Amino acid sequence: MQEEIINIKNEAMAQIMGASDVSELEQLKINYLGRNGKINSLIKKLKDVPVDERKQVGITLNLAKQTINKLVNDKHQELIKSLTEKREWFDLTIPGVKPERGHYHPLTTVLKEVKTIFNHLGYQIADGPEIETDYYNFEALNIPKDHPSRDTQMTFYVDDKEKHILRTQTSAMQGRVMKDMKPPFRVLAPGRNFRYEQVDASHGFEFWQVEGFVVDENIHLTDLFGTIDYVLKELFGSDVKLRFATTNFPFVEPGVDTYMRCTICGGKGCSFCKNSGWSEIMPAGMIHPNVLKTAGIDTKRWNGFAFAIGLSRIVNLRYQIKDLRTLTTPDMRILSQF
Amino acid sequence: MLIPLSWLKDFVEIKLSLKDLMWKMTEAGLTCESYKKVGDEIVLDVEVTANRPDWMSIIGVAREVAAIQGIKLKTRKENALPKKSANFPIDLIPDFNLFDRWTGIAIKNVEIKPSPKWLADRIRLMGHTPINNVIDITNYVMYELGIPMHAFDYDEIAGQIMTVQLSKGGEDFTSVDNLSYKLPKDAIIIRDAERLIDLAGIKGGLNSGIKETTKNVFLHVTIDNSVLVRRTSIALGLRSEASAIYERVPDKGGTINSIKRAASLILDLTGGQVASDLIDLRKEKFEPWEITLTEEKLEKVLGIKIETKLVVNILSKLNLNPRKTSKGIACTIPTYRGDLKIEEDLIEEVARIYGYNKFPMTLPTGRITKNKIPYYFDDSIHLALKEILIGAGYTEAMTLSLISKDIIEKFGLNPSDHVKIENPVSLDYEYMRTTLIPSLLAALKLNTEEKLKIFEIDKVYPSENYKLTVVTKGVDFREFKGLVDLIFEKLNINNYKIEFETNKSYMHQSVAGIIKMGETLIGEFGALSPRVLNNFEIKNKVYCLEFDIKALEKHTRVKIFESVPLVPPQIEDLTLVFPAKTKIGEVVGLIKSVSRLINKVELKDIYQDSYTFNIWYQGKTNLTDPEVKEIREKILKLIEQKFGGIIKE
Repeated sequence: MQEEIINIKNEAMAQIMGASDVSELEQLKINYLGRNGKINSLIKKLKDVPVDERKQVGITLNLAKQTINKLVNDKHQELIKSLTEKREWFDLTIPGVKPERGHYHPLTTVLKEVKTIFNHLGYQIADGPEIETDYYNFEALNIPKDHPSRDTQMTFYVDDKEKHILRTQTSAMQGRVMKDMKPPFRVLAPGRNFRYEQVDASHGFEFWQVEGFVVDENIHLTDLFGTIDYVLKELFGSDVKLRFATTNFPFVEPGVDTYMRCTICGGKGCSFCKNSGWSEIMPAGMIHPNVLKTAGIDTKRWNGFAFAIGLSRIVNLRYQIKDLRTLTTPDMRILSQF
Repeated sequence: MLIPLSWLKDFVEIKLSLKDLMWKMTEAGLTCESYKKVGDEIVLDVEVTANRPDWMSIIGVAREVAAIQGIKLKTRKENALPKKSANFPIDLIPDFNLFDRWTGIAIKNVEIKPSPKWLADRIRLMGHTPINNVIDITNYVMYELGIPMHAFDYDEIAGQIMTVQLSKGGEDFTSVDNLSYKLPKDAIIIRDAERLIDLAGIKGGLNSGIKETTKNVFLHVTIDNSVLVRRTSIALGLRSEASAIYERVPDKGGTINSIKRAASLILDLTGGQVASDLIDLRKEKFEPWEITLTEEKLEKVLGIKIETKLVVNILSKLNLNPRKTSKGIACTIPTYRGDLKIEEDLIEEVARIYGYNKFPMTLPTGRITKNKIPYYFDDSIHLALKEILIGAGYTEAMTLSLISKDIIEKFGLNPSDHVKIENPVSLDYEYMRTTLIPSLLAALKLNTEEKLKIFEIDKVYPSENYKLTVVTKGVDFREFKGLVDLIFEKLNINNYKIEFETNKSYMHQSVAGIIKMGETLIGEFGALSPRVLNNFEIKNKVYCLEFDIKALEKHTRVKIFESVPLVPPQIEDLTLVFPAKTKIGEVVGLIKSVSRLINKVELKDIYQDSYTFNIWYQGKTNLTDPEVKEIREKILKLIEQKFGGIIKE
């Protein structure tokens, strides 16, 4: 029995010393020290040992158990130490296996940002009809029939009795909201517009715009400039350069056009900005009193401003997309880039 | 509008560099982003907004450039016209609904010949070919002063009578450049005693035009009805410089000045003599009008206080003759500034000359309403769905709303159920879509990869309801159905019904159905009809779905948290054999409904007619074997009763 104990102890020591990792060590611990391990089976046999030898054998067995236990613990520490300190070559450049995930359309991404910016400024989002009446698209905006400014907004006509059109501008939402709501309000109306244009790289007959307008008791031109400045800096970064120019839309007075230093060439001139170094980006103005009056708003008390953001244009500027048709083509080679 | 710099310099000195001049013009609203060089000459290209007929002229641009620079126009000595040396009769029969003003003069003994070099050069700079001295002069004065004019061969005006009237429609008209037109109704025309001789505001007639043999001329300047000119020019597809000016309503007070300028050039260059009085028929006097600007309003709109002195200075640079009165600053508006009608218009004048880029920037300090605006749009369900789909590997597309008749028919739909565009850009984009599926089918053609998972959220017409539409290829039915399950799980919509029938002919007869919540139709899902696929020459198996976003939004609920059990579940697999046509989805529902102690059931495996279900039994305390056995037996009994399914031996 004594010899058997020694043999098992020696065998255990050899195996433990040779263990190469923690799990092998754990297994050896179970083999020797576990409930059904070799040491325990010896303990069970202890009762068969003659009484006079039993005490000595017991001491030997206990010593063996302690030795094995200590060795396991020491070996464990050693293995952890060497695992921690060991340096082996491992290829970190090997390509991973990507989890499958789809892609947001860039119009969604940019629109989400635009909405967040305006939510911070207290605007509510409105969504209105694309199949519109001439009244809201033009007349309520101080653009009577036969007005030459209609030339820049060539219109699709719906073949129906009511003589609907497809809206050419999200500004059509001004009259709709103003008619049904008393000021003050701050409105952001994103959406699709249609203009009769032959399709080419820089013209699409469907495009996305975001209309914004504010009506309150004391709205100033400086508020409009400040809003445009805030929004474009949020969208394009605080180092954008802006400049404002006068323009004319029948539904604003004074009228404002916003030019942004071309984000693509940095102002040197490129095909995006037609070599001017500046990109026309956000037409705006103080709402014309005729528009407010038409909607039944008292212009002695209330005034406001309005602006439009070319969403398709912002997407194109941000991602340097040259062909407008890119955005509406369901080609994964395009969509998976975003 | 082209502006040759040397011509501009006839009227105003230019102190700014070219680059600064162009930007200052742009800032003031006279957009000038490009120029071209023609020999030594620089020709600016300006974009004139619809409200500024005066900028359709060199003098108008010169006035603006003078105001921008804060200097005065150069003065030009105008000689009075010589007395008439003959009395050629001419009888003008006006209609003040058609011409607001009609100013004319006869000139005799002209010698028609090519224009002198200076005149011909300027006509060329404006992008035209010189014709002869008289015609070139009429164009020259139009460019210079901004009101179109026309010269007739006096001897071709039958009866020396000119009547302005509306066309009846269908008249034949041959223009001075020898092109023939059939006139639309309500074009403004001039007739002499016998013939139609002029399409007013657009083009003169060949029959009465200036020819090499012309001896005597009748020259006139008219202010034509802008709406009628515009309608006629659109109807004929004939947009001339004259029509572009008339649409904007030119200076009604400027006809005399224009005709004097043109007449004296004609006298100088053709050797002619005045042969009639200066005739001037006008609806009213067309004199300057008054607008008063109040400084309170100016400050309210602009948000800054501009010193009175500066305001007056700006208005006076614009020739608006500002005077302080008890009511404010009274201005006299010259007749060429027809765009200035109300106080806000004057506010813009002050702001733009003051310089938009000198303004400070503020944000509105107003109230924010707690009321919801009309057309209020909460897009959170749109974004939630996009998030779910993108997380599941689906890519978002945005496609055009306009589609072709061909696509509609290939899709098995009826074009007459679609909104039709009266004037499509091409037949490819003639109808508004009633489903997004065909647009996404295009993606199958564009993408050659084996697998495609694409979606779009957009409107269908005429309802303008938003739809969620998914199209896949290279995906098996259970993977596709997994997306449907995921959408409903994430929106926390339970108890929806699947029906095996759809009334959409483009969906597959067997492998497609509809989903309903109560009586609300959520939408269709399943395979596309083989015929549709064949029409589009698609060989892949295509699964798609189209759900109504409003219907989903109506039934989505916030998920209520269930506390995590403190004891482990008992999990077991049950394999059962079912007869053909068993709705396994309903079997799963039945198993779940047997006991509240069942908290999860999944279809784990299918082999021939046997289905393995993975079932989780979960109590508040550890369930005993007899408790689980009782539930299991209830499951098996109910499955056998309802579906004829039995445990696999």
